[in-house]
Amino acid sequence: MLPEDRRVWRFIGAVALSMALSVPLSAALGVQYDYTLTNVALGGALLGALCGMAGTFAVLRGQSLIGDTLSHAALPGVALAFLLFGREPLALLLGAAATGGLGVLLVNWLSGTTRLKQDAAMGIVLAAFFAIGVALLSYIQGRADASQAGLDKFIFGQAAAIIVRDVVTLGAACLLIGALLLTFWKEFKLLTFDPDFAQASGFPVGRLNGLLSALIVIVCVLGLQLAGVILMVGLLIAPAAAARQWTRRLEQMIVLAMLFGAFSGGSGAVLSALERGLPTGPLMIVVACSLVLIALLFAPQRGVLWQRRRLRSEV
Amino acid sequence: MQGIERLLIEILLNFTTAEQLNAFFGDPRRVALLISALVAVATALCGVFLVLRKLAMTADAISHSVLFGIVAAFLAMLALGQTPDLGAPLLLAGATAAGVGTVALTELIARSKLVKNDAALGLVFPFLFALAVILVTRYIPNVHLDTDSVMVGEIGVAWANANSHCFANCAPVTITADDPRAKIARRCVNCTAEGISPRDPRAMFEAYCSNCGTFSAAEAWQRRLISAPPELVFIPRALVPLSSVALANLLFVLLFYKELKLASFDPDLAAAFGFKPALLSYSLLTLVSVTAVAAFDAVGAILVVAFFVIPAAAAYLLTERLWQMLAIAPALSVAASWLGYEVARSLDISISAAMVSLLFAFFMLIWLLSPRHGLFSALIRRERQRRLFAEQLLLGHLYNHQRTADAESESAQSTLHEHLNWTSVKTTRCLARLRAKGLVDFEAGQVRLTARGEALVRAFRADLMAR
Amino acid sequence: MTNSSYALEINDLTVAYRNTPVLWDIDLRVPSGVLMGIIGPNGAGKSTLIKAALGLIPRAAGDVRFFGLPLRQARARIGYVPQRNSIDWDFPTTALDVVMMGLYGKLGWLRRPDKTARQTALAALEQLGMAHFAERQIGQLSGGQQQRVFLARALVQNADLYFMDEPFAAVDAVTERAIVNLLHRLRAQGKTVIVVHHDLQTVAEYFDWVTLLNVEVIASGATDSVFTEENIRRTYGGRIGALPAALSGSSEASAYVA
Repeated sequence: MLPEDRRVWRFIGAVALSMALSVPLSAALGVQYDYTLTNVALGGALLGALCGMAGTFAVLRGQSLIGDTLSHAALPGVALAFLLFGREPLALLLGAAATGGLGVLLVNWLSGTTRLKQDAAMGIVLAAFFAIGVALLSYIQGRADASQAGLDKFIFGQAAAIIVRDVVTLGAACLLIGALLLTFWKEFKLLTFDPDFAQASGFPVGRLNGLLSALIVIVCVLGLQLAGVILMVGLLIAPAAAARQWTRRLEQMIVLAMLFGAFSGGSGAVLSALERGLPTGPLMIVVACSLVLIALLFAPQRGVLWQRRRLRSEV
Repeated sequence: MQGIERLLIEILLNFTTAEQLNAFFGDPRRVALLISALVAVATALCGVFLVLRKLAMTADAISHSVLFGIVAAFLAMLALGQTPDLGAPLLLAGATAAGVGTVALTELIARSKLVKNDAALGLVFPFLFALAVILVTRYIPNVHLDTDSVMVGEIGVAWANANSHCFANCAPVTITADDPRAKIARRCVNCTAEGISPRDPRAMFEAYCSNCGTFSAAEAWQRRLISAPPELVFIPRALVPLSSVALANLLFVLLFYKELKLASFDPDLAAAFGFKPALLSYSLLTLVSVTAVAAFDAVGAILVVAFFVIPAAAAYLLTERLWQMLAIAPALSVAASWLGYEVARSLDISISAAMVSLLFAFFMLIWLLSPRHGLFSALIRRERQRRLFAEQLLLGHLYNHQRTADAESESAQSTLHEHLNWTSVKTTRCLARLRAKGLVDFEAGQVRLTARGEALVRAFRADLMAR
Repeated sequence: MTNSSYALEINDLTVAYRNTPVLWDIDLRVPSGVLMGIIGPNGAGKSTLIKAALGLIPRAAGDVRFFGLPLRQARARIGYVPQRNSIDWDFPTTALDVVMMGLYGKLGWLRRPDKTARQTALAALEQLGMAHFAERQIGQLSGGQQQRVFLARALVQNADLYFMDEPFAAVDAVTERAIVNLLHRLRAQGKTVIVVHHDLQTVAEYFDWVTLLNVEVIASGATDSVFTEENIRRTYGGRIGALPAALSGSSEASAYVA
């Protein structure tokens, strides 16, 4: 292994260590890890790790904003599931995934068969599906305004309502998706880098694409509860965007993205517990984006300050 | 805004009475239809250029980040000791700044080449929105920034959010002690202090005026101090801002039509002509920010992007010409909004959501049925093309082999499908079509080109080469 | 019908994009062991030919055989160097990584590249003179260096038939030399190489077999017999600026052909 790679692995190790240490440190500084906080922090960390995994591929495939469309498109599914099955959490998740996936298919279909480009297709599906969801919700609640707790929570997330079962679900998803990525690592890597060559090499590009898209759908749907519709896309992109600046190997990038994501998720929860009235989801985003800013400025080779220093030393 | 409203009403009062105006603007349905029409026109005009310049998701980002601008301005006003009013110009300025700032920040990040354009967008607007939510929950938890109405809008009550303007009998009334309308009463000055009752002989009284003071015209009327009521006209608060925005967008599009057209299709050429595409771009996005803010009341922050993108996209599927898009998109949007209102009223569901759902339904219909770009016509065209190609291939195959040594085997009716690597069904059908068109003949188990068939092949070949 | 002595045999291949034929009724037979250039103007369908043959784009009609076998069965014997312009060069991967990707197809599912794979990849880079760039991130390489990495990736595929799409496009002189050396080496090993080429001036120098293509096959065969002025004119439809100097027999290029 090259010294530069070794350095990055050491950096990753240091990051992991300091993130792990931040837990007892924060406890020492007075943070009370009660039942709720532990759940939210753990759930946030797991979600962040998931976002690191899925976000790495979403960003590298140039599909960063699909997370936005996905999370908006999930609403009608949630409303329908609620209509049919009541507050059954599994049904709600499946419903969200169903319409979310349908939305993505429609985006591809629209941009593939008409003159419309992908951004227009994403905008259409995003707004239209969300509107249908709102219409359904307001119909369900039998009133002309959708100002029920349901819509509010969907838009902004309801981190505080996380229970152990949600954390377990997130943990299971982490294991499952992690296993899938490990199994198909080289295929996903090749597919993302050079789809033509992948196809020419004999890989079933269509099915692999579908699998990768499905992973992103699952992560977005799982994240809706914590992050809400609007912020989900930020949580998906930020860890990967930050991680990319520190390394040039995909393997290192995804590990770092998972760490950054986990840290954002966990610390968002902890920070929101410091004071009454601070919402969890937005704090996660703020932490994640701060990590991006730090990376953009200070990363060796790519960071802005680094480049400026190099220019100055060359002159 | 208030001044403009007042001016507008004064002009209108030359043609009609205050009662008629109030009756007009007091009808919820009429106001909702009027406001939604204004929103539809204002957004669709911008939307056409957003779709053409691949800025649809940028519009989505802007509509989310303007909230940050509103909140920041709101807090600034609080800090400056002013009472923040949701119609204040500072709020609009803050919102617009946030919208434009989103684009500027995204470009800044993307220019570093460290993050791609779409990823940069997906970082900036969630960050600003997150800040907005934190600021609101932390510093303004009790204020009427009703999140649902901001997200989804409340066009149904737009008529009730009205400003009142007074046109007659407006003067405030001041009653002093010597006013004939003053009511003089007596009160005990030392009863409480000495703990005695008013009937006590030691009680001392003074006269005071019980209804003195300054009252507004409306209060004076209520207290029956004046004989004629103040003449008030109520005008929905959203009307003037939305009309101005719609007008501004229309003017922008009309004035800069050819610059916009060129910059959207060929930015390099536009720059060469000195049109400054970057300036146009930013002007467009500024208008988008302002329009988004003006439309929030009616349709909310999440759904406004639907009004920007969907009508324009539908128009894009119907026509090639820019001016037609600019005419079709608003018309479609108004139709969907009005129909949506009726549907929402009858089904008792969210009005803005119904409007967007109908807009989407129109879009889907157009996507399927558009004669030039629709799915069905594309499928029909592809099928027709497939047949034509098959026929040409078959004819070409016959042409190539007709005077060669293996003509017999290559043109045999029974084995033709093997040579072409087609199914025999496909071959038979194709041959039947060609026979019907008089392009081939069957002769003793062989397929032969007719003179017309040969001529067609030659013309096709020449055509190919001429491209 | 199909003769397995041909490295590539194409019959009646037709590819249409929307409503226009991009390739029409292509018949092509390429013998083994040749170094063939596909020549034609822009939009003539040269890249499309390769992509359609490899199953990357759908075809309206026609049949393609590799050594007498269909694509599915022949894949292990085929190597591919696509065009550079569709790649995201900011992707976090090194030159060595990219070359090892050439081995993925042979590894199959679930198996990871091991030390042998790494050695093979390094050796391939060595052959292209890129060994000391092995750990460089690909975005930091020049265009020519990137092209050589792609060629190394094709090399490790250890194929009998190589398809290369515009390998000489926008490369520096060093890279051009390296590519030509590689082509000769491959031919010496008995491989067949099919190259989409854009520069008329170097066709006769580089290739012993040539196919002139403009939606249809104008001519195909040994360079000496097929690469004539007449054929070139027919292919380019009078749109060429200057005929190759070697052809016209004089040291100056012909006048502009309008």
